[in-house]
Amino acid sequence: MIMSEKCKQHVDSCRFCWMCHHICPIGNATGQERNTARARALGISLVNRGAIDLSEIMDNIYECCTCGACVHDCITGWDPVMFTKETRLQAALEGKLPEYIMTLVSNCIETGNAYGKTATCDTLTAAIKAHADKKDTLLLLGVDAKFMACQQALKAIKVLEKAGVDFAVLENEVPTGVQLDFLIGAANETKEQMAACAKVLDQYKTVVVYDPNDSKAIKQLYKEYGIEVKANVVTYTSFVADLIKDGKLKAVNSGKKVVFQDPYQLSRDLEETEPAREIVSAYASLDEMLLNRAETVWAGNILMAQYMPEIIKKVAARRIFNATSIGANAIVTACVSEYVSLKAVAEDVEIISIEDLILGE
Amino acid sequence: MQYQMNEFLFAMILTELEDAVGKENCSTRAIDKVTHSVDYYWLSRMWADRGCRMPEADFVVCPENAQEVSKVVKIANYYKLPVTTWGAGGGTQGGAIPVCGGIILDTKRMNKIYEVNTEGMYIECGTGAIYKHIEWAANEVGKATMHYPSSLTCSTVGGFLAHRGIGVVSTKYGKIDDMVLQMEVVLPNGDIINTCSAPKHAAGPDLNQIFIGSEGTLGIITKAQIRIFDQPEERRFRGFLFQDMNGAFKASRELLQKFKPSVMRLYDEAETASLIKKIVGVERKGAFMNIAYEGVKEMVDVEEKILLETFKKYGAEDLGSEYGEKWWKEKITFFYPGHMMDIPQMFGTMDTIAPYGKIEEIYWAMKEAIETNFPQAKFIAHFSHWYEWGAMVYDRFIIEGKDVPKDPVEALRLHQAVWTCGVRAALAHGGVVNDHHGVGIKLGRLMKEQYGPAMQVFEGLKKTLDPNGIMNPFKLGL
Repeated sequence: MIMSEKCKQHVDSCRFCWMCHHICPIGNATGQERNTARARALGISLVNRGAIDLSEIMDNIYECCTCGACVHDCITGWDPVMFTKETRLQAALEGKLPEYIMTLVSNCIETGNAYGKTATCDTLTAAIKAHADKKDTLLLLGVDAKFMACQQALKAIKVLEKAGVDFAVLENEVPTGVQLDFLIGAANETKEQMAACAKVLDQYKTVVVYDPNDSKAIKQLYKEYGIEVKANVVTYTSFVADLIKDGKLKAVNSGKKVVFQDPYQLSRDLEETEPAREIVSAYASLDEMLLNRAETVWAGNILMAQYMPEIIKKVAARRIFNATSIGANAIVTACVSEYVSLKAVAEDVEIISIEDLILGE
Repeated sequence: MQYQMNEFLFAMILTELEDAVGKENCSTRAIDKVTHSVDYYWLSRMWADRGCRMPEADFVVCPENAQEVSKVVKIANYYKLPVTTWGAGGGTQGGAIPVCGGIILDTKRMNKIYEVNTEGMYIECGTGAIYKHIEWAANEVGKATMHYPSSLTCSTVGGFLAHRGIGVVSTKYGKIDDMVLQMEVVLPNGDIINTCSAPKHAAGPDLNQIFIGSEGTLGIITKAQIRIFDQPEERRFRGFLFQDMNGAFKASRELLQKFKPSVMRLYDEAETASLIKKIVGVERKGAFMNIAYEGVKEMVDVEEKILLETFKKYGAEDLGSEYGEKWWKEKITFFYPGHMMDIPQMFGTMDTIAPYGKIEEIYWAMKEAIETNFPQAKFIAHFSHWYEWGAMVYDRFIIEGKDVPKDPVEALRLHQAVWTCGVRAALAHGGVVNDHHGVGIKLGRLMKEQYGPAMQVFEGLKKTLDPNGIMNPFKLGL
């Protein structure tokens, strides 16, 4: 397998290192040894040495959620996410992607989203139409919210309306490329989607990005791939926190006891942890789970649930256990994908989005 | 009855195992077999590094509880299939490698924390729980497990129990065998047993201690009650520099007659000049020693006074608290790639333990044996777990990559020869085969040399409990 020297070095460092064994949200949920950074590195190193075929490790390569908990935990800076993504790219180039991944990739290329969806729900379509006129500020909803959680997308719009923000929403949002980046890494197709998206965003002064996954892509990955965005890109949480500070949203604290589920894209990748807490603290009483902020544990997503739904349920259930073990019975999320994942398995605990909290729903 | 596995029988057994643990928890996929064939043992790493596949299990099963474990071992007994128990694979002795194929029984689905009992001061959990996770559970209620080995984040409760592990604060709080109240064990015939409800009793020999350290050869520990402790009001550190090891031993021995520090680590000159210089920043000639003492503040004040007086008597230079604190902060950094020895180097830790009258002699004997017989090897050591009666030596040999044969079998031969030489030197001077990493397949051949006729006690237990010899064959010398 063709692999960069940098990646090979990381693979050969991680293949015999067990130190991040405790931190993988998927490994902890499944109890499977293969769901560890070292197992993935060992598999890749054996492919590189001709002892095993690439196709035999690909399922495992796609069991990684790329949340970066292992990267964050590593004292010496080794990066399992980097070699996992490079292996995905190589498998794509060598035509060795598993069939279920190939379907998602094709959907991304053909429809702009991995789910192959082409239409949003009627209520969301109407709400978006109401904001079709060009404005300085754009609210970018993202494919997960638009196609898989339209009620949350609607609420995201309602919050900005409530604050009197003058903003636009695109009827035909361009994909940010983040799904392709997850599926096949830095492929030409990924970079093309990103470049096309950047062009559109640059037509606005400010872009408010609802999905932390898209925020990470635009604010971090685009730079890595040499794609420049001139617009002022802000996360939804930091934008809304400012609305509260500026008095445009009048918060009433219900006193409800909640914990906050940090999306790793915000807390680890973009180092944004406090704006969401400012919002939550304005509307409720915030308690902290043991693993919070940059140490957060990923709680699942919609994309991976397309091909490993049972594992995503286990991941979400385990994160709920983290909350309930400190007596919490309500979890606030700032990532639509985690909201959906947690909601799917929540029994004795309430899952609330930031928007739910603000709108009192 | 001897038989050869065939496709039909393989498929039949697979369906039975799937029935026992669920289809999704039973695998024959290459990635699962490969993953469970390489642990932290240098030989398994070298083998994989050379592009060779280590012996692999035929089936990888992940049971959820003792009942499912029981079903698996009953199937294994019927078909006479080897069962090798796997925790998280962080063992250094090859104890979890399925050298005879058969079944790998991965315990990590048995990771439930059943109870955090702050009155009885224990956590009851499945033995597949990663130890760091039970530390988190203890921390959530303001307590701590006080078992902090470098492998805290990458080993299971069962893994530590299986090889009698130890942590860095052991001098005050004890080894893993001191940390257990009660255990649930699945015997090789599938019976599920519980040890006594308390570890200190006169109801015959302690069953816990028969299974702790048995490395999966006598049964599978599935649940354990692990002790927790109050967090100390104060934890203080003090670094010292000794110009001779003998003085350090005398000072430490005397100190331990007065009180028990938590951390006690004495590094020989070679390790002070390499690892300690690199990680902690001590750039001085001599033997660095780090002491931590902790507990109720008033007692810590008194202990500090005793420590300073005692060590001064033996010529120790007081380096203050800075290096010790740095050491505590970096205690796991030592083991990350880039800081730790790694392939292409050949290396190993030959930890052994003995009373004070012998331990220093063992250190010099092992150093001489290694350096004389293998001039290409570097020998470094530290002494990190201390008792009123003696201490352990954590001595390592390191051979640079250029001196390690590229041929895997030749590399294996050299590795075996160094180990045999070093451990025999320890045994000849009153040491034991190992202090806290266990025996596995690496040192099994030396167990009879250690025990002589006493080995028949283990062999008798093995024969009675596991007449088909299916449990982790060729480990522990059994």
